[in-house]
Amino acid sequence: MIGILLAKLKSFIRNPWTFLIFTFMSMFFAFIFGGTSVEKAYVPIHAVNENIKDSFIGQQLKEQEGFHFSWMTEGDLREKIETGKAEIGVVLQENDYSIIVGVNSFNTDLVQQIISGIYQEKIEREQILLAFEQGASDESNILTEMDQAMEKPIFKIESASFRGEGAFVYDNSLHRIFGFSLFFVIYTIAYNVLPILIEKREGIWDRMILSPLKKSEMYIANLLYSFITGYLQVLVIFLMFRYVVGVDFHDRFFETLLLLIPYVFSIVALTMLITAIVKNVRQFNAVLPIIAVSMAMIGGAYWPIEIVESKLLLILAKFNPLTYGMEVLNGVAVYSYPLEELLFPISVLVLMGVTMIGLGIHLMERRHI
Amino acid sequence: MIELVDLTKKFKQIYAVKNLSMFIERGEIVGLLGPNGAGKSTAISILSSLVEPSGGDVRFENKSILKHPAPFRKVVGMVPQNIALYSDLTAEENLLFFGRIYRLRGKELERKVDEVLEQIGLTDRRRDVVKKFSGGMQRRLNIGVAMLHDPELLIMDEPTVGIDPQSRNYILETVKRLNEERKMTVLYTSHYMEEVEFLCDRIYIMDKGNLIASGTKDEIKQILSSEKTISITMERLNEEFLDSLKENPLVNRVTIGEKEVTILVPRDINIFSEIIKLAESTGIELNSVDNKTPTLEDVFLHLTGRALRD
Ligand SMILES: Nc1ncnc2c1ncn2[C@@H]1O[C@H](COP(=O)(O)OP(=O)(O)O)[C@@H](O)[C@H]1O
Ligand SMILES: [Mg+2]
Repeated sequence: MIGILLAKLKSFIRNPWTFLIFTFMSMFFAFIFGGTSVEKAYVPIHAVNENIKDSFIGQQLKEQEGFHFSWMTEGDLREKIETGKAEIGVVLQENDYSIIVGVNSFNTDLVQQIISGIYQEKIEREQILLAFEQGASDESNILTEMDQAMEKPIFKIESASFRGEGAFVYDNSLHRIFGFSLFFVIYTIAYNVLPILIEKREGIWDRMILSPLKKSEMYIANLLYSFITGYLQVLVIFLMFRYVVGVDFHDRFFETLLLLIPYVFSIVALTMLITAIVKNVRQFNAVLPIIAVSMAMIGGAYWPIEIVESKLLLILAKFNPLTYGMEVLNGVAVYSYPLEELLFPISVLVLMGVTMIGLGIHLMERRHI
Repeated sequence: MIELVDLTKKFKQIYAVKNLSMFIERGEIVGLLGPNGAGKSTAISILSSLVEPSGGDVRFENKSILKHPAPFRKVVGMVPQNIALYSDLTAEENLLFFGRIYRLRGKELERKVDEVLEQIGLTDRRRDVVKKFSGGMQRRLNIGVAMLHDPELLIMDEPTVGIDPQSRNYILETVKRLNEERKMTVLYTSHYMEEVEFLCDRIYIMDKGNLIASGTKDEIKQILSSEKTISITMERLNEEFLDSLKENPLVNRVTIGEKEVTILVPRDINIFSEIIKLAESTGIELNSVDNKTPTLEDVFLHLTGRALRD
């Protein structure tokens, strides 16, 4: 088994081009499409009253990770939007705000959510202070006041123009990196599983079968090798973006790398199944891009799955390992979910993987290509 | 040593091999001859325990290998029809790899690799990547890999297709030498009858899954004992001449080449004068009329009505 791995490694060193090309492509696309927001998204902001800038609201805005709020006059702000230099702008009043939308994007929802959140918090704090001033010094009173304040926000959030429940965190640069990595790694893995088909047809497998080598060793070595190259590719891409480009993985870089494993495993399994079903390399080459691209589209590698509305696509997405791969990676790095919250997609990936590998090997053994 | 008993392999509708029985004794070179699609590779795959037959049995030292292939696999070396090598690795690396899967290690492995490289004449190309080899060199290495574990029985599936005559001779000589010097038993598959005639003690001829003839070279040629082959060469052919040959009741079969016509006629007939007369009357300028010694090709032609290579 070690022998097979070494032989493959040597071939890889002599012929690393597939690997390099797909690694480069993932980085290139992630960089091009995610490139503009490798920095924080730019949002011009104006306050009718200078005090707001230094108040609680101003401080909260400064702490926002995904956005860079830039203070300016209302005139400048409108100009930025009209000339397309910014997608949206925010105008703050003492107890209210308005968002000026130039281009409606994922960011609109997000900014709206952030700012209304800040205002709500501000009002809660004021309510509490007020309660103190009015002499309601016992604890239960303060709590009641606070509860009331929470239930009845002073202002209503205007959400008519927005997707009701659709406010979600969207970190463009991470999303692109994840999306393109998970997409292109399908090719790298597939082209490392494919040699099983070629080696079977040419007779290398027959040679191994006649030798004292065990069948299980042959499969494990081949699949392990595909896994390692696939994982290595994503590792290189993530390292590159983390340390060279400087993308923020929200302090969960290690966890991201760890939770990549189930996805890579499931793709090894998927390509094994494809390899077992196709009749020859030509069919494989024809089928692979169709599967990979539709998986990427349905699974939300190119755009967030949250914007997909078609029922059919959403159902299909449930059978797509890439959906769960994105869910896990976004969950860990963007939403900072604890591991327990990700157990479901992880289990699905592992289950899909085990099933597809089992089926793939079974078909391959039965067919005797 | 090994025996195929009534072997049958069916792929969906077609029989790739049908009721095939054959045997190989220790020390023999046995030829398996047949055109493309005859079922040779299928028969060999079953024989070497790689494919399960639909019916029949394969017996090694009188024990079926279908359920317990291990003892047989130890002594068999298989040269597949395709080049089954890692093309990105060098000749030496390939040999080392396949040696290791046969549990050869260290000094023993090195010695064996050197020995095989010597046998297949690739010692000075050992560090070259297989991809860069000529077809003949790849074929030689393909054979070399099968000899690493000193097999008692070497099964070769068309080991010379598509290579230059020099490499081909080299391979044929090597096989002969292995057989003479090491008493290696060989099953040699080919659709070139010259190779089989040159190498083999006994021959099996297959066509469309069926065994159509078997025995020593002489025994097989005896099949033609009632007929003889006459080759007629001429400057230019014409239809009239051919038609009259075909209509002649003495002529059993007419095969047409460019400037040559081969006919099969009963052995005890003298047809020379008749041919010359025919030629004169149809305006053919004859170059020669020869009585040919029969070849396996002729046997195949006789049995199937088709040429071995089409
Ligand atoms: N795996 C297979 N599935 C279906 N048909 C096959 C398969 N292998 C061989 N055949 C058919 O069996 C016949 C014999 O093939 P083969 O043994 O390769 O002949 P040969 O080696 O003499 O050229 C051919 O008609 C071929 O198409
Ligand atoms: Mg064949």
